[in-house]
Amino acid sequence: MAVSAILPACKKDFLETAPTAQAPAENVFTTTANAAAAMNGVYRLMYTAYADQGQGGESSVMIDMDMMGEDLVNPTVGNNWFISLHRYIETRNVSGAQTLFAYRYYYRIISNTNAIIEGVEGATGTEAEKKAIRGEAYAMRAYAHFKLVQLYAERYVAGGANAQLGVPLSLTTKIEKLPRATVAAVYTQVNSDLDAAITNLTGVAARANKSHINLAVVQGIKARVALAMQDYASAAALAAAARTSAIAGSASLMSNADYTAGFNSYANNEWMWGISQIADQGTFFYSFFAYMSVNFNSTNIRSNPKCINSALYNQISATDVRKKLWDPTARDAAFLVPPSGVRIAYMNRKFLANSASNSYGDLAFMRLGEMYLMEAEALARLGRTTEAQNALYTVAFNRDPSYVRSTRTGTALIDEIMIQRRAELWGEGFRFTDLKRLNLPLNRNGANHVASVATVFDIPAGDPRFQWVIPIAEINSNNLIVQNPL
Amino acid sequence: MASHAYAQNQTVTGKISGKDDGLPIAGATVSVKGTRTRTQTSADGRFTLSVPSGSVLVVSYIGYKSAEVSARSVTNISLEPDNNDLTEVTIVVPYGTAKKQTFTGSAASLNAAALEKRAVSNPLTALAGIAPGIQVNPPTGQPGAAPAIRVRGFGSINASNDPLIIVDGVQYEGALSSINSDDIDNISVLKDAASTALYGAKAANGVIIVSTKKGRNGAGVLNVKVTEGLISRGVPEYDRLDAYQYYPVEWQAYRNSLVYAASNPLSIADASTIASGLGTRNAAGQQVLNGRTYLDISQTLGSLIQNGVYTQSNNPFNVASNQIVDVNGNLNPAAQLRYNDLDWLKETLRASDRKDYNINYSGGTDKTDYFASVGYVNEKGFAQKSDFDRITARINVNHQATSWFKTGLNMAGSAAETNRTATASTSYVNPFFFSRNIGPIYNVYAHNPVTGEQLFDVLGNRVYDTGGLTALGVPSRAGGASPGRHVLQELLLNDDSFKRNIFSTRAYAEITFLKDFKFTVNGSADFNNAYFSSYQNQIVGDGAPGGRSSREAIFTTTYNLNELLNYSKSFGLHNLSVLAGHENYSKLIDDLNGSRNTQLLSGNTEFTNFTTTSGLSSFKDRDRSEGYLAQLNYDYDQKYLFSASVRRDASSRFAKDVRNAYFWSVGAGWRLDREEFMKSASWVNLLKLRSSYGLTGNYQTLDANLDPNYYPTLALYDVNNNALEPGFTQSTTTSNAALKWEVNKTLDIGLEFGLFNNRLSGSVEVYDRRSSNLLFAVPLPVSSGLVTQYQNVGTMYNRGLEINLSGSPFRGRDFSWNIDFNATTNKNRITKMPADQPEIISGSKKLMVGHSLYDYYMRIYKGVDPTDGSALYVPVDGATGTTLRTVNGVVYTTSTTNAKLDYTGDSSIPDVFGALSNAFTYKKFTLSMMVNYQLGGKIYDTNYASLMSVSSYGNALHTDILKSWKQAGDITDVPRLDPVNSTNLYAGSSRWLTSASYLYFRNATLSYSLPKELLSKLTVKKASVYVGGENLFLISGRKGMDPTQNFNGTVTNAYVPQRILSFGVNFSL
Repeated sequence: MAVSAILPACKKDFLETAPTAQAPAENVFTTTANAAAAMNGVYRLMYTAYADQGQGGESSVMIDMDMMGEDLVNPTVGNNWFISLHRYIETRNVSGAQTLFAYRYYYRIISNTNAIIEGVEGATGTEAEKKAIRGEAYAMRAYAHFKLVQLYAERYVAGGANAQLGVPLSLTTKIEKLPRATVAAVYTQVNSDLDAAITNLTGVAARANKSHINLAVVQGIKARVALAMQDYASAAALAAAARTSAIAGSASLMSNADYTAGFNSYANNEWMWGISQIADQGTFFYSFFAYMSVNFNSTNIRSNPKCINSALYNQISATDVRKKLWDPTARDAAFLVPPSGVRIAYMNRKFLANSASNSYGDLAFMRLGEMYLMEAEALARLGRTTEAQNALYTVAFNRDPSYVRSTRTGTALIDEIMIQRRAELWGEGFRFTDLKRLNLPLNRNGANHVASVATVFDIPAGDPRFQWVIPIAEINSNNLIVQNPL
Repeated sequence: MASHAYAQNQTVTGKISGKDDGLPIAGATVSVKGTRTRTQTSADGRFTLSVPSGSVLVVSYIGYKSAEVSARSVTNISLEPDNNDLTEVTIVVPYGTAKKQTFTGSAASLNAAALEKRAVSNPLTALAGIAPGIQVNPPTGQPGAAPAIRVRGFGSINASNDPLIIVDGVQYEGALSSINSDDIDNISVLKDAASTALYGAKAANGVIIVSTKKGRNGAGVLNVKVTEGLISRGVPEYDRLDAYQYYPVEWQAYRNSLVYAASNPLSIADASTIASGLGTRNAAGQQVLNGRTYLDISQTLGSLIQNGVYTQSNNPFNVASNQIVDVNGNLNPAAQLRYNDLDWLKETLRASDRKDYNINYSGGTDKTDYFASVGYVNEKGFAQKSDFDRITARINVNHQATSWFKTGLNMAGSAAETNRTATASTSYVNPFFFSRNIGPIYNVYAHNPVTGEQLFDVLGNRVYDTGGLTALGVPSRAGGASPGRHVLQELLLNDDSFKRNIFSTRAYAEITFLKDFKFTVNGSADFNNAYFSSYQNQIVGDGAPGGRSSREAIFTTTYNLNELLNYSKSFGLHNLSVLAGHENYSKLIDDLNGSRNTQLLSGNTEFTNFTTTSGLSSFKDRDRSEGYLAQLNYDYDQKYLFSASVRRDASSRFAKDVRNAYFWSVGAGWRLDREEFMKSASWVNLLKLRSSYGLTGNYQTLDANLDPNYYPTLALYDVNNNALEPGFTQSTTTSNAALKWEVNKTLDIGLEFGLFNNRLSGSVEVYDRRSSNLLFAVPLPVSSGLVTQYQNVGTMYNRGLEINLSGSPFRGRDFSWNIDFNATTNKNRITKMPADQPEIISGSKKLMVGHSLYDYYMRIYKGVDPTDGSALYVPVDGATGTTLRTVNGVVYTTSTTNAKLDYTGDSSIPDVFGALSNAFTYKKFTLSMMVNYQLGGKIYDTNYASLMSVSSYGNALHTDILKSWKQAGDITDVPRLDPVNSTNLYAGSSRWLTSASYLYFRNATLSYSLPKELLSKLTVKKASVYVGGENLFLISGRKGMDPTQNFNGTVTNAYVPQRILSFGVNFSL
């Protein structure tokens, strides 16, 4: 153009701009140090705020799992957070915020791990460093697919074809529409990824901290998968292996003093996997402790302290340290409720937020106690009674100095283990998937559930309500997806 | 100018005045026809000139018709005001001005006179209704808020639809509320490609050009303006239930929830007993039935739980809490309210006002002109804790140093401070959300629930009832009534404010050479520094009990440099002008933000007074562009008009190899009135046929929050540390290195006319605006883990007809009447969608070929099943299962998940919109007023939906809910009240669509010019007093519904627009 000859042009790089607070993707996988940072970012996704304050990553899914069980009691509707899950309404709503959140959250983890799995190969660094990163990425991809298939599909039935629709298997960074794989295929891939993780994480250097998945954690995840597949032999073996690996890494069951310290420190020697949350990583109302703690000053906690099912509580021995986590009298001043917080019978103090004004706190995703309980349950279901009694004894005795080794057998033993499991893992995000994997009904009767709050007391085993609907946003953007029966 | 003493010369003296007001005109040019002899009138309108005998004097002054008279020794001339002379109007166009008579484009403008009496803190607000094709939604009531503007429809789906704003020749990034309306000489809105294409890649959404005032050659003049206004609510509240109506309705909802429970339902008798509170109670104060525990309605609406026991419940009445509503659902006739502090709306509003003071002075000599101004605006919003305070100053000096060199400097500074409220639609500290939605049974101030007496703190102040004062023995509020929150207390204790300092400077140098050439360099620097502060208190709300503070400093620096070469020449009747130029634009945003919590000393909200850092970050963003431009204008005898322009643009938002693009336009016009064959039609003053076609671009990529996305082409990772470990996560918007400009191709055909001595004038235009290469944020499968990718796919058109008519039905000596009317239709259609996402559902709309971007797509509501009050929807195709039912032979579903999403056949785009303005002048009085209207289209009224949904207890309800289904056989279109089934009963559906038609009386002004006899004694040149009103009233499809909030037809709990009644005085010295 003529004018360009007579008029000054800009410097050549005038139009080259880049953001200063984000990193170009091509720089992320240049070195293993950077790739490791990408893996750290995956863990951060487990406590990142998504679209609303009920969407705080893994912590919110944990709350969902208890809200959809019978062991967590909402004494009032509070300010309504999570109540529609408690009522089994949200997960039947194709436009439900929580239904979309969990789906989006786990696929975001998967997408990031896919990039890591592909990217780490070309990074500069030692094979040992790559193995650690690769192993963690495979494990997290498996973990996310496993959670998804448990929520959005019908349960896995041992010995069945499991040809029912699972969830899309996303295994590469290619952006494409993926159909729902069968439940069988999803579990196959989950196990394959976990095996890859075990291979890569075996023999690597000790992890930097407990937010990272190590061999013991992969074995623990795989034990959970085996339980969900009702493959009790594998579950028992994997739980034992996880326990052994963890103890070799100096884990041990916590003291009774630690048990009442608030479940908020990942320095706790029983924690196998968890995250550490620090003050400047944004925690106000999407933290786990903003809903589940006794002391954080949120409207939700002030008006709707989370309670334990009184029927379950009554089955806990009086000498059990866990009995101290709930107040059946609503008068115990040792329960540090926030100013103007109500006291309600059976409210919990298991979880303590950092302070009334700061909701952040460390959060456990896997504890050694669960390994014993998985092992005990699997062994009991296999009929290996003595081994089951022994596995249970270790953890039960730790919690209750007066505990006497169980002499129960058969169903009675299984029931005892399940009561122990419910008491031990209350509020930690297990109950809904336990009901589902065991094909149990929801039964909230005969306890302290308030009819006008819970509204739903009975759901028969295998009811369609145990499957979350696929969020409409996925169906709208991916026409290969078939919705669950509505 | 000195007079020369030739024998045959005579000295002429005289006075020039305006025929309209009789006032002297300063600065009018008096020249001798056919010579270079000329002078200008002094401040009192007088002149002296030595002229040859028999000369003819020509007197001219802007805004008046020129007059020619024979020179006599005393020549007094009064000039006729030129209200309607289209031929003299110049319009501001890119990089210059154009004469309207030879202009081939489509533009509208607003001048200083139209702005000066308007009480608008953002000058763009005054664009509403001035011309067809321009939609201007009034700003929210937040003082200083900006209006939303669309020019000729909606060209983009995911990129911005905001027009480009140019202030004094340069793209403007600051808030227009930082510009003093009284500094503005002219605002032009350019609509078609011929007008805008010189701005190439940024012009697709139209261009608004704001020009500030300059001094004029002549004696100086000083203007003073003082305005005082009263501000009130411009749109009324929705009709809502009072406490007496509300309690039985909530009872009914609760009773129904027990009867229609999904598991273990109760009989109607049992449910009624439980709801009224007449059942057997346990030690905790709950009722027990069949082993389950139940609350009564007053406990459900609010409880005091002490040590696990329900001791008190919500009861604003003077009867026992189980005597409020009987088992038949009727309010106890003896029940009387115990409280008078249940009106939250009243408590959150306040008396408010607006002050606007301005002083400016201007003048000039042959060589230098100047304009200087100082202004102050203070606006208190009618909602608590909202205001706007602004000081502005400007100086504009131009100097003709030599015959060939001219330079000028225009500097403006403004300092604005704003307290904000209602910034988020459903925030608990939004007084509109909170007061609209809290049930009418909750106290603003705390009371003893037993005695009803107000509670006072140790200092003797009333205690605010936060809906959760368990420690004081006050029942909490129900979940739907924002328990634990208190909008008034929070507003008063919190801060949400910002300061914005803008320093804006423009300078140019202009060299004239070789007679017909002019070379100009324009440079500008805009410094826009904003500082946001917020604080949440320690007592109630999100900050309690620690207290938290956040700050954000945003420094935006914009530099713009252009070099322009003009050539202008007439060859006989051929008039030619050519422009070539180059332009650089560079913006840098520097952002620092942080937040801390846990306050030490109360009262101090600075960071040092907090213990814990909860966030701290900083970033820079850069946006740059470079363009080369050229333009040619040609006319033959002002009869045949031709224009063409081209611009090559490049933006930093796109990747190197695709960022360059050419934009261009051509335009042509034909002045039929200048043709010989029209000479006989003397009643035709103007008849111009014109057309233009051109290509313009849009580069304004946005992120999911509708903030600019400066890097849509890059694949990025966000920094997301894992506690103390460094961490990265994928950005959820994925890259597209091939991304380039969105393109608009616009055809414009217009006919302009002035008839009967311009008593009737106007225009008729049609436009066809086709957008292609849309910057489409294509949604990716959720299972990809990513959210969107920008792709250049999709096409869409906007087609419309614009009519503008101005008439003077009456033009008398004392009385005149002018009417302006305009109407616009716009048809928007998507003609191509992304291949792999041919149907994209976005909120209440679906994007699909053959539909507009604002066509509603949702569940189709079909009324209520008389048997059980269920809401009925059209089911999805092939649906089966228990949610289907047949009513009157038609199959419906009662479940949202089984309900079919479908086009409702409605759109938010109106059939026609426009304005009607009237101006009456009677002697020294002038009355002008404008009404905006819109016909057709639908609003999706979610505020109404929320007031019609009993999804939780304690939220306010609309009076229409009294028509709800109550028992089998009821025929109604309002479903059963039943919170547990709210997902299905009150789902988002076509039920909430309401007519978007409206009539909005936007403004009126009555002014009176003081007689000059009075003024001359006071040495005042001109003075007027006036009263004015903005947003006087709105008639819409539903009381309380504001259909002007969003072009896409959605509503929010936004700050309701303000009505201002103002009184002002203007005078000139």
